[in-house]
Amino acid sequence: MKQNPLTFIVGAVLLVIFVLLLFVFQVRKSEVAVVTTFGKPVRDITEPGAYWKAPWPIQKVHKFDQRIHNFEGKFEQVQTADQFTLLIMVYVGWNISDAKVFSQRFGDSTAKAEESLEGLLRNAYSGVVGRHPFPDFVSTDEKQLKLAEIEQEMLQRVQADSRAITNGLDVKFLGIKKLGLPESVTELVFQRMKSEREVKVSEIQFEGERQARDLRSAADAESARLISDADAQATRIRGLGDSEAAKSFEVFKQDPELARFILELGALEAFTKERTTLILDTQTSPLGLLRGPTVAPARNAKP
Amino acid sequence: MSDSHDHPHPAPIAPPPEVTDDAGSQALSDALRSSFAIVKVIMVGLVVVFLGSGFFTVGTQEKAIILRFGKPVGEDEKALLGPGPHWALPYPIDEVVRLPVGQVQTVNSTIGWYLTTAGLEAAKTEPPPGPSLNPATDGYVLTGDGNIVHVRGTLRYRVSEPGLRYVFDFASASNLVQNAFNHALLYAAARGTVDITRDTTAYREQAEARLADLIAQQQLGIKVELMDVQVIPPRQLTADFARVLEAEVRRATALNDARKYANETVSKGRSEAVARTNTAAAERARTVEFVSAEANRFNDLLPEYRKDKQLFTSLRYAEALQRIFTNVQEKIILQERADGKPRELRLQLNREPPKPKTIGPEPAHQDKH
Repeated sequence: MKQNPLTFIVGAVLLVIFVLLLFVFQVRKSEVAVVTTFGKPVRDITEPGAYWKAPWPIQKVHKFDQRIHNFEGKFEQVQTADQFTLLIMVYVGWNISDAKVFSQRFGDSTAKAEESLEGLLRNAYSGVVGRHPFPDFVSTDEKQLKLAEIEQEMLQRVQADSRAITNGLDVKFLGIKKLGLPESVTELVFQRMKSEREVKVSEIQFEGERQARDLRSAADAESARLISDADAQATRIRGLGDSEAAKSFEVFKQDPELARFILELGALEAFTKERTTLILDTQTSPLGLLRGPTVAPARNAKP
Repeated sequence: MSDSHDHPHPAPIAPPPEVTDDAGSQALSDALRSSFAIVKVIMVGLVVVFLGSGFFTVGTQEKAIILRFGKPVGEDEKALLGPGPHWALPYPIDEVVRLPVGQVQTVNSTIGWYLTTAGLEAAKTEPPPGPSLNPATDGYVLTGDGNIVHVRGTLRYRVSEPGLRYVFDFASASNLVQNAFNHALLYAAARGTVDITRDTTAYREQAEARLADLIAQQQLGIKVELMDVQVIPPRQLTADFARVLEAEVRRATALNDARKYANETVSKGRSEAVARTNTAAAERARTVEFVSAEANRFNDLLPEYRKDKQLFTSLRYAEALQRIFTNVQEKIILQERADGKPRELRLQLNREPPKPKTIGPEPAHQDKH
């Protein structure tokens, strides 16, 4: 027959595929597998790739997702070391570390594994949270705040417990997702916050008034200082003028009597220059003339 | 395979003509050959389609990796396929896994906000707050000073290269990213004060730092693009927080007023100071000038005075009096009483009026001796 070689090739290929399907299985990256012989686990496969196995009724392959799962605990009420009631919720990243053990304990059920995790978390809550006072959870003081340490302690606790019961899963990390207070306490907190705000308002008011007052009085003082400095300088300037003028006084020393006479006369004139009412009696020269001419003048030259 | 089954079908009809007629058997073998050729073409086509199904295209916002029998082909980084057309073996052998490298992904925080929905919020028809917060429904975070605030945020991130861990190591990486974000918001609040409701900058930086730590610790393999946070005081206390703001605005106004006053006062003082020194300088000049003028006059008069003192003074005196009397606004001359006793004079001095002529009494003049 002419078509024999082609038919043979096609048949062989199909046979190979059939055999491969029966005897080979794949483990995908991100998976682990357990091979069981008549239901008894015999082989753990953690690396991805293709593997041989005995065909179906003899060996069976159980595959597990090895990726890290996100699991969140319940929002639970815990007492802190200083008797505060705190609500706490954590999340963990866990994966299957030993598929054989995992399958024995939980079968294929992730839900069962998470139930067990929840129990572990509850232990960690009461064990770890109870040893820390409230300010370790929230504090403005960096040194006091121990949130990261608390998480670390809880993680260690959960990991230790998990190892102790050999459940084949590994908790990779743990973080606090939520912290809260019992509902009745929130109301008290609001009252306190309210009064804090009121205090703050009056503080701001008081502070503002004080600052404004300080600014004003500082300005007043500054202004007074400027003026008194200027006064001092003005006195100095006048003093300079006086001492300069004093140089001219030498001239007057030639005849002090004349000097006094001239200056007094000048002063009298200047003094009476404007808007002055003079009341004089006839004793004043030259008004004496009003009483009739005399020859002897009564010399009364006074300013 | 199917053709070998199909083939025998025409055969049972064939044998009788083969024996009898040579031309008939010839025609039959022709028919067989042509139908066999058609089957061959179909088979080749099937193989081509089978192999062709291995072609795939990688988009610009992603990378891809081929798993052969479940195992990545090549070493991690080198195995990544960039954008463009690629070919892989068909299904049971190869699997193409697309990695969302470079795509911006978004998660929203799930803790910290009170119970509401986007619709209610947009319509501003949220139910009014109760006196307390129910931990089961209302979210909030505690601040370092023991207060309650609401926070929420949006995180935009990219899966960083190679992105293998994001896809192969986490069952749902975005949930873990979301929880890391939630934790960062809680952690940053736990060390802040209620003032983070005023200025979120420091708070956001703290949260970013914490998130970056977690990403590194847990090797989430992402890069944060943008973190948006919103922090508000509890709605129960909105009015109280607003009052603080108002007080601050009032304080700012008062301070501005005070600053204005201060500037004005100081500049007034400064100009007053300048005025005073200037006056002094002018006075100084006047004094000097006056004295020197007087000195000059004195020098001029001295020789004459020396000639006859009596006459000189009398002349000068009379001269001066003349000028004085002309200048003086009002003159009152009292006649001596006949009995020679001093005349009594009463002056009514009005302090107030600045306008009416000033009465400048000169007691010296009426005192007589």
